[in-house]
Amino acid sequence: MAAKKLGLKQRYALMTRGLDWETTYQPMDEVFPFDKFEGIKITDWSKWEDPFRLTMDNYWKFQAEKERKLYAVLDSFAQNNGQMGVSDAKYVNAIKLFLTGVSPLEYQAHRGFAHAGRHLRGVGPRVAAQMQSLDELRHVQTQVHTISQYNKYFDGFAEFRHMHDRVWYLSVPKSFFDDARSAGPFEYMVAIGFAFEYVLTNLLFVPFMSGAAYNGDMATVTFGFSAQSDESRHMTLGIEVIKFLLEQHPDNLPIVQKWVDKWFWRGHRVLGLVAMMMDYMLPKKVMSWKEAWEIYFTEAGGALFQDLERYGLRVPKYADVATAEAEHMSHQNWSIFYQYTHAAGFHTWLPSDEEMDWLSEKYPNTFDKYYRPRYEMWREMEKDGKRFYNNALPQLCTTCQIPMGYTEPGDPTTIAFRSSEYKGDRYHFCSDGCKDIFDNEPEKFSQSWLPVHQIFQGNCGGATVPDVLAWYNMNVGADNMDQAGSPDQKIWDAWKTKQEKVAG
Amino acid sequence: MTYKLTIEPTGDEIDVEEGQTILDAALRAGVWLPHACGHGLCGTCKVEVLEGEVDHGAASDFALMDFEREAGKTLCCTATMDSDVTIEAEIDEEPDARVIPVRDFSATVERLDDLTHDVKGLVLALDAPIDFQAGQYINLTVPGVEGARAFSIANPPSATTVVDLHVRLVPGGAATPVIHSDLKVGDRLTFSGPYGRFFVRKSQPGPLLFMAGGTGLSSPRSMILDLLAEGCPEAITLIHGVRTQADLYGREEMEALAEVHGTFTYVPALSNEPADSGWEGARGFVHDVAQSLTDGMFAGYKAYLCGPPPMVEACIRTLMKGRLFEQDIFTEKFLTAKDAEEKPRSPVFRRL
Repeated sequence: MAAKKLGLKQRYALMTRGLDWETTYQPMDEVFPFDKFEGIKITDWSKWEDPFRLTMDNYWKFQAEKERKLYAVLDSFAQNNGQMGVSDAKYVNAIKLFLTGVSPLEYQAHRGFAHAGRHLRGVGPRVAAQMQSLDELRHVQTQVHTISQYNKYFDGFAEFRHMHDRVWYLSVPKSFFDDARSAGPFEYMVAIGFAFEYVLTNLLFVPFMSGAAYNGDMATVTFGFSAQSDESRHMTLGIEVIKFLLEQHPDNLPIVQKWVDKWFWRGHRVLGLVAMMMDYMLPKKVMSWKEAWEIYFTEAGGALFQDLERYGLRVPKYADVATAEAEHMSHQNWSIFYQYTHAAGFHTWLPSDEEMDWLSEKYPNTFDKYYRPRYEMWREMEKDGKRFYNNALPQLCTTCQIPMGYTEPGDPTTIAFRSSEYKGDRYHFCSDGCKDIFDNEPEKFSQSWLPVHQIFQGNCGGATVPDVLAWYNMNVGADNMDQAGSPDQKIWDAWKTKQEKVAG
Repeated sequence: MTYKLTIEPTGDEIDVEEGQTILDAALRAGVWLPHACGHGLCGTCKVEVLEGEVDHGAASDFALMDFEREAGKTLCCTATMDSDVTIEAEIDEEPDARVIPVRDFSATVERLDDLTHDVKGLVLALDAPIDFQAGQYINLTVPGVEGARAFSIANPPSATTVVDLHVRLVPGGAATPVIHSDLKVGDRLTFSGPYGRFFVRKSQPGPLLFMAGGTGLSSPRSMILDLLAEGCPEAITLIHGVRTQADLYGREEMEALAEVHGTFTYVPALSNEPADSGWEGARGFVHDVAQSLTDGMFAGYKAYLCGPPPMVEACIRTLMKGRLFEQDIFTEKFLTAKDAEEKPRSPVFRRL
């Protein structure tokens, strides 16, 4: 009788396991110095279940074909002047936000997974982290290449790398990843692998990709598909990390719970940029932020945490606050950017009557009562030639680094202020969630690079707004200010006039 | 048009309607396949087509590459079938699972015993012998009732010409009142089987813990009789939970087995017995009793759960709290079409 054919799982195990060894020249704890200080206890690395079974040779084959397909679409997008086919010039600002705020995070994820993979002593998670590291490098490259087409015609893209490290609001996503990458390898895996890639990823990618599809940006849709085909591995890795840690030792539960609480809240704060993009920046709207939150967090996350409850893990702390904030967050964020449009690398505008009606319909509890009157007042001020700019530098939350513009839970007319004292200094926070995070690790967060503090300390090119904008490499008058009257709008109007003549 | 789908390496065979996706058909038939996005984008549900023709449906070009299509891969969540098909999926091989084809059987009602005030012991004498694994169930056609009803087989597989079922009267139900009131000895019935993947992992060492609720005693009884007859060397514990003494059945038989077999411990547990009834045995729910038996530590056990869903869920939580996880917890899931329509659960657990 012929030997029984091996199952896929056994074949994979034979090809990937037993490749590591116990070191003898150096103790294992010296070779893997970071996988114990966090307090996580691993009793048996072999219990790691490979969530997916991909070998390196196959990996290259897959990714090579994905690249061929993606670049074929990008070439055709460029040759057919795809940038002229999007719904409106305003749409391009959503892509600016993505390139400057999100794409550099893909690169940070690449480095983070490379580091975590190196410092986990189990071979299973090491291989998984290595592949995800390479995926993330591919994602940032494809995103930069896709968006480079827009850079030929529109402002705000050219200095994305430089800006990511300096500009005030870009410190929000940047500091999120800096925090994760400077944590231990297990916290990194929970922060990015679980909280970000599993719990919150749909809230980031689905709005951008559906937004791109609705607004005629086929190039972005394609890189989205290309990236999403890697996501199955990333998401299952995130789930496997949580299960593995919780099954390995009962002492891991309180540590993991604290990380889940922290990274849920931090992720929620970063996603405020997406909320604003969905509700205000897409000319053709996909769904409201509140609807997206209900589908992707309340429902899908609800099912997830119901299952995880069996391990004793509970729903992240302040999830209820985040859900209540879904009524307000996009409006408060857009208002911040409108006031500081002179210091932002994309354009802003006031919502049209039609857009405000859409917002009333989507936010019946809050929009007409709290936000429409403000926009109407600003519109009147614009008409009178007194467009409102906030010329003071805002106080920032020490944890999330967002200007302190969010309101008290349950009271949208009062700004929320929290503070803590640490070694004689007082630190300020936008919320209980951000304060808790600081209070758990004050020695880490008291070192935060806060853009406004840095300006006041003279580390950002000078004491005046023009000095700082120059230090940002901001092309003043082109990258910043209102959409109306911008060079972006002028080139768009010229294209449209030409098209009408041709069609005429 | 209906096609037959064979799923390797388990050998499960299920029917798939024309236009129905492979994933949908498998989940509805109670066969778990890896999956995530459900609409052809992520590639988690990729399988190899060994035989037959499939239509890839709306599978994304990035989730299912051209070279994979040529190599016979497909995505279960979008693929529909154009012929009978055999696939190989990334599911765990179960060395203890036997592949027994489902067949139709005719039988005569041999006995109808009152096990309690609302549980009948229905013993069927078969026209032809049945092969099954202890823990499996049959789908019984009840005269005058539309659709078949699932009942676990309570006798061990060594008895091949009878099938012993425990049927609790569901007030207002369609089928169980017929069995309780109208069925007579000598009546003729038909059923199909055996079904299900609830069986003892005999190749895995470690003490066995059976947690049964109400008529959920049936499968554990079959499994335990089978194990004891084979001379299983492991310690076996059965906790059978019911509400009151009046609901308890099978006690004499289990106590007799425990007398003879030093490896077997029998613990009847009553959750709602009056305090002054003189009951000296365990009180409380199955999971509470299990916790006090083991001091809450279950690591090393193999647990087999059978009973109403709230009892099973409570037991899973207690076991996990006691460091026993999915790979050592076994239970039968009776997936109905309605379950499959409900919003998908998270992918944290595969079987539980």
